[in-house]
Amino acid sequence: MRAIKSPKTAKIAYHRADGLLPQSPDVGTLERMLYYLKLTREAEYRIERVLYRQGKIVGGVYVGRGQEAIGVGSAIQLVEGDFVLPSHRDFSSFLIRGFELKDLLANWLGRANGPTRGRENTTHVGSLKLGVIPIISPLGDTLPVACGVALAFKLRGRKNVALVHFGEGTTSRGDVHEAMNLAAVMKLAVIFICNNNGYAYSTPTERQYAVKDLCVRGPAYGMPGVTIDGNDVLAVYQTVRQAIERARAGEGPSFIECKTFRMTGHSAHDAAEYVPKERLEEEAKKDPITRFEKLLLAQRVITTRQIKQMEQRIQKEIDEAVAYAEACPFPRGETAIEGVYCGPDCWWETGSAV
Amino acid sequence: MPTNVIMPQMGESVAEGTVTRWLKKVGDRVERDEPLLEISTDKVDAEIPSPAAGTLTQILVRENETVPVNTVVGVIDGEGAAVSAAQAQPATPLPGPELKDAEAAPGLPANAPSVSRDKIRSSPLVRRIAREHNVDLAYVRGTGLGGRISKKDILAYLAQPGSQRAIPPTAPQPATPTPSSVPPAVSAPAPAAPPPAGTVAGATQVVPMTAMRRQIAEHMVASKRTAAHVTTVFEVEMTRVFELRAQYAAAFEQRHGIKLTFTPFFVRAAVEALKQYPIVNASVDGNNIIYHRDINIGIAVALDTGLIVPVIKHADEKNFLGVARAVQDLAGRARSKRLDVDEVQGGTFTITNPGIFGSLFGTPIINQPQVAILGVGVIEKRPVVRDDAIAIRPMVYLALSFDHRLIDGAVADQFMNKVKAVLENWEESVV
Amino acid sequence: MPILTHLEAIRQGIWEEMERDPSVFLLGEDIGVYGGAFKVTAGMLEKFGADRVIDTPISESAIVGAAVGAALVGLRPVVEMQFMDFIACGFDQVVNMAAKIHYRWGAAVPIVIRGPSGAGVHGGPYHSQSNEMWFVHTPGLKVVVPATAYDAKGLIKASIRDNNPVIFYEHKFLYRRIKDEVPAEDYVVPIGKARVAREGTDIAVITYGAMVWTALEAAQALEQEGISLEVLDLRSLLPYDEEAVLASVRKCNKVILLHEDTRIGGFAGELAALISEKAFEDLDGPIIRVTAPDTPVPFSPPLEEYFLPNAKKVAEAARKLAAY
Repeated sequence: MRAIKSPKTAKIAYHRADGLLPQSPDVGTLERMLYYLKLTREAEYRIERVLYRQGKIVGGVYVGRGQEAIGVGSAIQLVEGDFVLPSHRDFSSFLIRGFELKDLLANWLGRANGPTRGRENTTHVGSLKLGVIPIISPLGDTLPVACGVALAFKLRGRKNVALVHFGEGTTSRGDVHEAMNLAAVMKLAVIFICNNNGYAYSTPTERQYAVKDLCVRGPAYGMPGVTIDGNDVLAVYQTVRQAIERARAGEGPSFIECKTFRMTGHSAHDAAEYVPKERLEEEAKKDPITRFEKLLLAQRVITTRQIKQMEQRIQKEIDEAVAYAEACPFPRGETAIEGVYCGPDCWWETGSAV
Repeated sequence: MPTNVIMPQMGESVAEGTVTRWLKKVGDRVERDEPLLEISTDKVDAEIPSPAAGTLTQILVRENETVPVNTVVGVIDGEGAAVSAAQAQPATPLPGPELKDAEAAPGLPANAPSVSRDKIRSSPLVRRIAREHNVDLAYVRGTGLGGRISKKDILAYLAQPGSQRAIPPTAPQPATPTPSSVPPAVSAPAPAAPPPAGTVAGATQVVPMTAMRRQIAEHMVASKRTAAHVTTVFEVEMTRVFELRAQYAAAFEQRHGIKLTFTPFFVRAAVEALKQYPIVNASVDGNNIIYHRDINIGIAVALDTGLIVPVIKHADEKNFLGVARAVQDLAGRARSKRLDVDEVQGGTFTITNPGIFGSLFGTPIINQPQVAILGVGVIEKRPVVRDDAIAIRPMVYLALSFDHRLIDGAVADQFMNKVKAVLENWEESVV
Repeated sequence: MPILTHLEAIRQGIWEEMERDPSVFLLGEDIGVYGGAFKVTAGMLEKFGADRVIDTPISESAIVGAAVGAALVGLRPVVEMQFMDFIACGFDQVVNMAAKIHYRWGAAVPIVIRGPSGAGVHGGPYHSQSNEMWFVHTPGLKVVVPATAYDAKGLIKASIRDNNPVIFYEHKFLYRRIKDEVPAEDYVVPIGKARVAREGTDIAVITYGAMVWTALEAAQALEQEGISLEVLDLRSLLPYDEEAVLASVRKCNKVILLHEDTRIGGFAGELAALISEKAFEDLDGPIIRVTAPDTPVPFSPPLEEYFLPNAKKVAEAARKLAAY
């Protein structure tokens, strides 16, 4: 991994997960990272492979299997007042920012108790208190919004940052250009994190862009750009850390391309036969969780027994959350007409972070 | 200057007419108002006088052809063929609510209907005001485009003293008030339905229904669909009426020039009962009951091509003699097809008399929008029990078909008891 | 009372809101140093500084999106579209992002997107559109179209204070042509309330924006002919003042619906539906629309003149309807 400050570091800098770096997080943080990696993987498994197939979740299901390290390695270091604008494959960001799994599941199941009261699906869930602004389905729209959040920080003299995730497919959209340019021009505290997972639905990267690595986009707008191994949670942590430091210091935005791979179809109903089998097998060997677990064991940060206990705890938490969500009632149809406008009679608990 | 001869609209809801006979041939000279052709509609048959003097140059609608009203049926060419208001009317109605220049309707006397009701052009607002003030729009003069009645017109109408003109009973006026269970003497064979399977082609004859027949058919079915029909039958002893007739028939005819028939007795009896039970003299309008102030009794008259129901207006204001005169007059003119359109409209109750054909009693179909119809069976001497002995008395079965939506069985029977009582204990002077 | 132009009234309204509330700031192209393409924001950079009067790159999507982001975390951005025609470049952010956030997850999005619209200045197809209906059909937005200077000030202030995204249409033809007495003090005109611009008895002309003046001109001409037009200025299209519309219909019983926007899918269609649903029996004639034809706005003066509704066209329609 190269220093992010140089605009010329437009090369893949694979961090080799064979040891902890001097600036690595403390043991407690490392354990939390492993916990969120595993919780995200297992919760999404339950959503995609169980609840969806049981017909309990309807509509689209998009998960981030194989790319959990990006969300965990970045969101874990946000502080109060920071914002994250996750992509649809960053379930971990919601959990780390403080959403309760049971509430997120109630939302997946379209229940009245979910944070959106059945108005929205998947992870289209936001909270100004927790500092999470969700995507809208035209992906890329959150990048200008992240700029606005950071602009507000700047106008109010706050040192907070806005961290926005998007896929490599999204980088083809005009909003991404407008946002990166605007952020660079205004020196906004935005960290642009591209989760490059190889496929945008069925479109492979070679049909999406014509450069080798997307990190060249950063310097093109006048901000640092770097491409890293997105399956290396410590590399993500380390790189994002440097970008956050720059941003908090008022030095402006950064662009980080995290190379990873989508270990599922685009959605739960996509068999993804367009992805070569060998590629999947190859990528499976680079699984970010296995890799991180091995490292922590090798470094004696954690024991096998502790991991076992963690896994049991996670299953219990998911079981309880699912039971809760399934017990929640569906919203009454007539509530559909409520809350279109923010007004005195509005039942939303609106709050402002600034 | 050519003048168009059009199929006139002979009745509020008449939509078409049949040319039955041309009295002139193409090339014939015709004077203004000279009979030109004969037409038949479901209401009346009529002779049409020529609208102008000149030569009949074209016959556009041949005999036995049926065409919509206002259709040009022929053309007169010649001197003095001035364009009349009727000719200026387009053959088809003007299109709907569209700003379009059109000629204003000619001025009409305020006490006459401006146009027939189905040709009235107004607006939703005007119709609402009319409903609220019980105004018959046929009497309002329209000054808008094409004679349209506007807000201004109806407000001006309402501002006139005595302008409140009651609307005939219900909103959807029946096209022809003609139903009853009287089996009409149908002269033409009328198997309009497809022949049953297995019928040999050629063994049947397909004849189109006449306009009157179609109207009757439509209204019979519509009435059955609309009203909850129930029929109650009473037996009435006619001894008292018989005695009166025996006593006064000759004197009556001599003094008044009309025969003393049974019909006025039934009309008078019905009127008395209707006064006592106004619900029988009512109509249904949506969720409202309309009680009619006037008692207008329709009398079904069988014709050889169907039947027609002239109406005795304000029957409640007439004494026995007045009723008898009206019956005589209307029945006579019905048979000779000389009734005015007005005289077959506005009935509130109908009496039909299948008894003249020998029927004991029928179960008549209500004449919409009325709610009851009285059928009179044959009057004949029958053995009856009186004081535990068999006696011979003139008897009649009276059948009342009533609309159970509005009239309960008890009320219907009370009504009939009243009719029966009036007939059996006749008090009114007949001379 | 001071006399201000339509444009000055808008400027004064924004100015006062910026003085009143430090969370109000401006985003747009050429609004700072240059003072805006029509000079609506002239003098504001000097008064409020570059932090609150922000010149942006030509990026309508980023401008609207950034406004949403800033609004979510507590600011009140006022965005200028150099021409309302260009809002199409930021359309997704308006209709998919800004309009739906509150309904989806409950956060308020207090932004105002304002700018010049409308024809009559030979601007051609891309500097003349009346595209308000794109947004009237988007629940979650509010759409405001003032006609007078008084309303322009009162409504821009109400829009800035509103907790929802407001699209604020300024008619460029009115900017310097319309002058009005405008109070120097603070006042707001509530969004969603119409105004009877002229009382009349025979025909209600229901309209908004620059066409209010056209209707008034027609009303004056017809007065001599004994036809009395009532002119209802809607002022807001979303939400709109249903009661005021119905009141005018019930009073006059004949209606002309007038707008500069093209015909199919124009606001007149919505009003016609409302009237026929709720005031059918108050109608004494057909509901008549006077609108632009269904074409882009042409450039050449004779074409543009043909395209635009004017007092003559309104008067012609009114005469026919009066005689109906």
